Amino acid sequence: MDSSALPAESSARPRWPRHVLLAGRLILGAVFVYAAYAKLREPWMLFAMAVNSYHFLPEWGATLVARGLPWLELALGLFLLTGWKIRWTATAAAGLLGFFFALMLYTYIKNPDSGTIHCGCFGSGEILGPLTLARDGALLALALIIAGGSFVTRARRA
Amino acid sequence: MDRKYTKLWTMVTLTLAGLMGISSLSLPARPGARQSKPPQTRPVQPKPSLAEITAGKSLGTKTAPILIEDFADFQCPMCRSFFLGITRQVIDEYVSTGKVYLVHHDFPLPMHAHSREAAKWANAAAVIGKFQEVETALYTKQESWGATGKVEEVVAGVLTPAEMKRVRALYASPEIETAIQHDMDLGRSKSVNETPSIFVTHKGQTVPINAVGASFPFMKQYIEYLLKQ
Repeated sequence: MDSSALPAESSARPRWPRHVLLAGRLILGAVFVYAAYAKLREPWMLFAMAVNSYHFLPEWGATLVARGLPWLELALGLFLLTGWKIRWTATAAAGLLGFFFALMLYTYIKNPDSGTIHCGCFGSGEILGPLTLARDGALLALALIIAGGSFVTRARRA
Repeated sequence: MDRKYTKLWTMVTLTLAGLMGISSLSLPARPGARQSKPPQTRPVQPKPSLAEITAGKSLGTKTAPILIEDFADFQCPMCRSFFLGITRQVIDEYVSTGKVYLVHHDFPLPMHAHSREAAKWANAAAVIGKFQEVETALYTKQESWGATGKVEEVVAGVLTPAEMKRVRALYASPEIETAIQHDMDLGRSKSVNETPSIFVTHKGQTVPINAVGASFPFMKQYIEYLLKQ
């Protein structure tokens, strides 16, 4: 009785939210992998200078972030692409993007005329500005949707 | 009859000679006419070439493995910080040892009232080989001349009277203005819109450096990394 009821219930639900979540995590995963690749292909000092331009960490902290963050991004990207522990991976990605977005927004509001602060999002050379903020905001929204969606999906299954 | 004509010809000849003599004294010389002395009212205009000015603003050996280009504004506080905190140490450790070729490019921003004037003085000093002295003086005393506009005083403070005389003459030459404009056009071609903008070139690859986040330890590690490549 129970075994026959389950397929009928799942077939009644629309499939598009799952497809949206799948597409979303593939896009976000690819973005994370690319961000990691862009940083790792350059010497870490260039990314360290970008981190240092935000003036929120001492130099040793900027060095630590510059050496460690690209690997964290690579791991998150691969987990998102494979869907491994998606709820926690998506939550971690949303947390990381939320932190980046808050930091970028704060720095931009504090120095609106300074076009010399590098975003550091995809390697060196990209200046922090409205476009980088809009892009990171969109990625944060996507990460939140994936995290929220994966929790909802899990709750429905349970 | 003949004597009468001879007298007449002599008088005509003498009159013409006299008139020519007077005209040569009073009329201005034709352009291109050779003169034994330059006119006293017009000073000699030195004409430094663009290459000469650029070379004067460059430090080190052209064959150095690393090229660092610095687009700067003498009145910009961040350029001052970069120069005092990083450039001077790069000069001491890497330019003097032939590892880095450092090129200064002027990018005076319109928001700074005296930066173009400062750039002109520095370019004029570059022609006589005194760029580094003037650059250091302009940055170290930036706050003072930035407020008063007395750029010339700062420049005069590091040059001898004879050097200052030459630099004053060069300051007015249009070639100096052309050299600054050339630097600005070069900067725009590299999407420079803020100062300082730093570019590091190694093995044909140019990378922009984040001047705001740069520090000498990071720059040192980056230069060392490039030298090992």
